[in-house]
Amino acid sequence: MSFAMFLKSTFVIGLLESAPLMLAAVGFTLIYRLNGFINIGYAENATLGAYLAVTLNAILGWNFYIAIIPAALFSGVLSVLTYLIVFRPAMKRGVGPTEMIILSVGVSFFLRYGISLIWGSRLYNFNLGKTDYLSLFGIGITNTQLICLGLALVVAFGLYAFIYKTKMGETMRALADNEELAMISGINPVKVSVVVWFLSGLAGGLAGVFTGVFTWVNTGLGWHMILVILLVAIIGRVGDVRGALIAGAGVGIITTAVTLVTQPAYGVVTLLVIFIVILKIRKVRA
Amino acid sequence: MREKKLHLKNVMKSFGGRKVVDIPELTIGTHGIEGLIGPNGAGKTTLINLITHRLKMDYGQILYYANGNEIDISNKSIDEIARLGMVRTNQVIQDFQSLTIRDSLLLSLAAPAYENFYNIFSERKLRKTVEQEIERYLEYFHFENPDGHALSAGEKKLLDIIRCLALKPQVLLMDEPTCGLPQDLIDLFIDLIKRKTVEEDMTILIVEHDLDLIWGVSENVYFMAEGEILIQGPPDEVRRNETVVEKYMGEGIA
Amino acid sequence: MGQILSGYYVYMLSILVVYIALATILHAQFGLTGIANFGLSAIWGFGMYTSALLIVKLNFPFVPAVILATVLTGAVSMGIGRIILDLDSQSVLVGTLAFLAIIETLVISEKWLTNGVMGIGPVNYPFDIGTYSQFVYFLILLIFTMALMYYARKLESSPPGRLFLSIQDNEPLSQSLGKPTFRRKLFFFAFTSALAGFFGALAAPTYKFLFPKYMGPAITFTLWIALILGARKRIFGGLVGILATIGLFDVILESVVPIPSRYAGILYNSKYFLYGLTLILVLMFRPSGILGEKAKSLNIANTGKIHKMEG
Repeated sequence: MSFAMFLKSTFVIGLLESAPLMLAAVGFTLIYRLNGFINIGYAENATLGAYLAVTLNAILGWNFYIAIIPAALFSGVLSVLTYLIVFRPAMKRGVGPTEMIILSVGVSFFLRYGISLIWGSRLYNFNLGKTDYLSLFGIGITNTQLICLGLALVVAFGLYAFIYKTKMGETMRALADNEELAMISGINPVKVSVVVWFLSGLAGGLAGVFTGVFTWVNTGLGWHMILVILLVAIIGRVGDVRGALIAGAGVGIITTAVTLVTQPAYGVVTLLVIFIVILKIRKVRA
Repeated sequence: MREKKLHLKNVMKSFGGRKVVDIPELTIGTHGIEGLIGPNGAGKTTLINLITHRLKMDYGQILYYANGNEIDISNKSIDEIARLGMVRTNQVIQDFQSLTIRDSLLLSLAAPAYENFYNIFSERKLRKTVEQEIERYLEYFHFENPDGHALSAGEKKLLDIIRCLALKPQVLLMDEPTCGLPQDLIDLFIDLIKRKTVEEDMTILIVEHDLDLIWGVSENVYFMAEGEILIQGPPDEVRRNETVVEKYMGEGIA
Repeated sequence: MGQILSGYYVYMLSILVVYIALATILHAQFGLTGIANFGLSAIWGFGMYTSALLIVKLNFPFVPAVILATVLTGAVSMGIGRIILDLDSQSVLVGTLAFLAIIETLVISEKWLTNGVMGIGPVNYPFDIGTYSQFVYFLILLIFTMALMYYARKLESSPPGRLFLSIQDNEPLSQSLGKPTFRRKLFFFAFTSALAGFFGALAAPTYKFLFPKYMGPAITFTLWIALILGARKRIFGGLVGILATIGLFDVILESVVPIPSRYAGILYNSKYFLYGLTLILVLMFRPSGILGEKAKSLNIANTGKIHKMEG
C-alpha cells in the first residue's frame, strides 16, 4: 500500500482500536494510583461487562446502546465487591504488593472461570442492528465503531476531568498521596475508595463492551487485554491518568503500524519489548 | 596521626530544591575514633548514605584510601564499597527476619568462596572456620539465645553492629549505634571499639546524640548543621565552641 | 503387570513428578530468594522445544539434545535475568510475565520453526525395552526430581542458602555487608532456570508431541497456585501443592473417578475456578501455605544433632 495509505490506516485504525484500551488503562490506573498495586483481576471487569451487555443484547434482544448501561453499572458494582470482600481486607492484613498481584491473579481466575461456568465457552457476538459504513480519511469503518470510539473517548476524558477538575477528584488524589493526612482532614478512605473502584469497574466494563463489539465476546477477552493495559498504564507513568490516555493512543497506533507491515504476532512482541524497556527506564528514573 | 581513609570533595545533595548536604572538603581517618554531632535534620544520616552510596550525590567526589591506593568510590555500588572495607551500621533498625543471630553472623563472616549456588556442602567447613570468632562475639555481649532471633530493639541494634564489626572493616560508619541500648552494653561497646581501632587500624566515625559518649571516646569531633560541617576539632574545643553551644547543646545532653 | 506399569497411570505420574520438580524450582526462586518468576513455564517449555527441535529437525541423539537444550535455556535465562533482576519485585513479576508472552507468541507465530499450534514431535524415549520403557523413564524422572529436592534441601542450610534468604528479606542490608546480590541472584536464576529447561527436555518424550500451550500462562499460574498453596518457603511446599492441585484434579478426579465426557468442560472450568478461589483464600488466611513457615530456628550443632528451638 502507499505510504499515505499506511499512515492513514495506522492512525485511524490505531485510534479506533486504542479507544477501548485508553478507557481500560484509565480505569486500571485509578486503582493503581489509589491503592498502589497492580490488579490483574481488572481484566475480568472488561470480560464481565462484555458478557452482560451481550447477554442483554444478543440473547434478550435489547438495543445495544441501552444494554451498555446496566452492563457498565454492574461492572462497577463487581469492582466494588472485589475491593470490599478481597482486596481491602487483604491490604489490612498487611499483604505485600507482590502478593497482592498474585492475589489479584487469583481473583482473575475465579471470575474468569466463574464466567465460563455460567456462560460456557462459545463465542458471542453483538447484535448491532442496521450497520452503516462510513469513510474516515479514506478508511472504511462502521457507524457503530465510530460511536463506540466516541463514547470511549468521552468516558475516558470524562474520568480524566473528574479526577483533575472536581472536588471529589481532588479528594481521591489526596487520599492516594497520603492516606493518614487525608484521614486527618476528615476524608473517609472507604467511601472514597468505593467510588474509585466503582468508576474503575465502570470504565473496565465499557472497555470490554467496546472491545467485544470490534471482535467478539469470549472468556479470554479481558485476559488478552490485561498485559497491554498494564503496559499502557506503566508507560503512561502509572498513576497519571493523562499519561494513560496518551500511552493508550500511542500503543494502539504502534501496534497497528507494526501489524500492517508484518503480522499481528510481531505487533504483540513489539509491545512487550517496549514494555520491558519502559520497566527499565522507570527504574533508572526512580 | 594516621593515614587518611576518606576524602570528600564538593559533595552536594539537594531534595526538592533544598540543600541537605553541602561539604566542600572533608577528610576522615586521621584519628581513630571520630564523632559527628549536630541537631536533627542536619544531614548526618544523609551524609553517611551518600558516602556508602545508598543515596546518589548530585555533585562531588569521594576518594577512598586503602593499602596505599586511592580509589574513587563516587560511583561504586553499595556492595562494592562494603567489600573495599567501608561499612555502616543503621540508625533505623534493620534485620533479616528469617535469620537467627548466629545465622546473621555466619552470613557476615562467609567469604565469597562459600556462597556460590553450588557450595551446598560447605556449611560444615564454614562453621569450623568461624565458630570461635562467633562465640567470642556472642559471649562478649551476653546473647542469651544466639540460636533464636534478635527480639528487642536493643538486640537488633547490637546485632547490626556486630555484623559490621565481623567484617573487619577499614572504615566503620556508625549511625546512632547506642540508641536503645542499656548502659552496660554501651560500656562493652565502647571498650570494644576502642580496642578495635588500635588492634585493627580501624577508623570509626560515630554519629551520636549522646554527647557524653562522644566527648569520652572521640579524638576528633565534627559539628554539622544545615548540611554543612561548621566546626571540627578535639572534643574539648568543640564542646566549648559558641556556635555549637548555641545551635545544639541547648537541645542535647551537655 | 505391564498394564499397571504403562499406560495412563504412569503417564500421569510422570507429569506429576515433572511438575513437582518445577514447583520446587519455583520455591528456590521465589520462596527462597524472592524472585517472582511468572515466566517459569515458558523457560521449561523453551527447554522442551529446543530439545525437541534438535531431535526432530536436526536428528540429534537424545542425551546431547537434552544437554544442549539445558545450556541454551540457561543462556537465555541469564539474558532475561540480566535485564530483569535489578528491578523491584513487582516489576520482576510483570517483566517475567511479559517474557513469557513474548516466547509463547513467537513459538506460535514462527511456524517455519515450531509448526505453531500444530505442535512438533514425535519425541521418543531414548531407549526401548518394550512395555516397560514408560515406567523406567518415569523412574528416571523420579530420580532426577529427588536429586533436585536434595539439592534444595542442602541449599537451605548452607551459606548460599543463607545468602539468598538475606537477599529476600532485606537486599540492601545484604549489600551493605558486601554481598554482590545482583550477581548472586543472576547466577542462581540462570542455574535454576537451566534446570527447568533440563526438566523440560526430559519431559518431552512423556508428552511425545509438544504444543505451545505447554509454555503458556495457564501452566505458570498452576505452578504458582500450587506453590503458594503448599508453602512457598518449604522445600516440600511444591510437592504438597502439586499433589493437592494437579494430583487431585488431573490425576485422581479425571482418571480414578469416571466423569462423563460431556462434563469435561465443566470440570476444566471448575478446576481453575477453584484454583482461583484457593489462591484467594490461602493468601488471605494462611499466606504461608499448608506446610506453614519453618520452625523458627534449626540449629545443627557441631555434633550433627538437629535441635529445634522456639518450636
